[in-house]
Amino acid sequence: MTSRNSKRSDSSAPLSCAEFQQQLPDLFAAGHEGVADPNLTEHLKTCENCSALVRDLQYIADQARQLLEPTHEPSDNVWKKIQESLASDPTYVANTQKQ
Amino acid sequence: MEIQGLQMTEPKTGPGLFKRNPPIAGEAEAIERAKAGDAEAFSKLYALHKRRVYTLCLRMLGNVSEAEDMTQEAFLHLFRKIGSFRGESAFSTWLHRLTVNLVLMHLRKKGLQLVSLEETINPSEEDSPKRDFGSRDTQLAGSVDRVALERAVASLPPGYRMVFVLHDVEGFEHNEIAVMLECSTGNSKSQLHKARLKLRELLRQQEPTQQADLKEAAL
Repeated sequence: MTSRNSKRSDSSAPLSCAEFQQQLPDLFAAGHEGVADPNLTEHLKTCENCSALVRDLQYIADQARQLLEPTHEPSDNVWKKIQESLASDPTYVANTQKQ
Repeated sequence: MEIQGLQMTEPKTGPGLFKRNPPIAGEAEAIERAKAGDAEAFSKLYALHKRRVYTLCLRMLGNVSEAEDMTQEAFLHLFRKIGSFRGESAFSTWLHRLTVNLVLMHLRKKGLQLVSLEETINPSEEDSPKRDFGSRDTQLAGSVDRVALERAVASLPPGYRMVFVLHDVEGFEHNEIAVMLECSTGNSKSQLHKARLKLRELLRQQEPTQQADLKEAAL
């Protein structure tokens, strides 16, 4: 594969890698409806480098979802401080006493 | 978009977020009781959500002490505001939004109050991801574990990290992020793209180290 980084002078000319990559933020944001432009599709089909880049970025976005599961736990001190602050709240105190 | 078996998908709001934040057993009852001021129910809500709220704060702030302070702040705020929760979104979505807003307010107070985030979240040139024209490298697919990704996310410049965590991890849409960060939607998209590029770079740098570690462990 060769990179085509020259400036675009003709809209029917194949896209350069720079031109393709410039459109990636919008393409990713558009999701499934993203690729209406055949030039983009063609570039992605024929440019190994850009297709690898797109695959990697998509992979990163997919992997990010596993980070939603929490892995960190606050220290017990946090709850202690919350309780201390709430102790000055009359609603909280009244309800604690009821229980 | 689907080309060569590849889907370019983005997390959606609405039903998508509900899938990401499914209801938790006993949560609805605890919410109703906490609304009436029940201290025990509030303590249950804390137990159910402390890890996610704290992890979110830690990812956004990158600092344990500040993350603990903001977790405390978020739950105190929750106690005061829980009466206004109407159940239009999942409780965890609502709580996360409340937390994100508090963290952003905290960051603005720390020094971003005079300049818009749109300008200040841009990292320095050396932190910017390199463009990728023509370099053939191995692909990441299948090679990145959670720990490696977590480490890479933690070393992102703050602005990139913020947008990446909000969009790719928490599932907020660009228009929501734009409102929260007081920037344009285009800026949010562009920051996210740069964040992913930077992560790709960081993860590739980690790969040789990981392989060397594995070899060493095998000896």
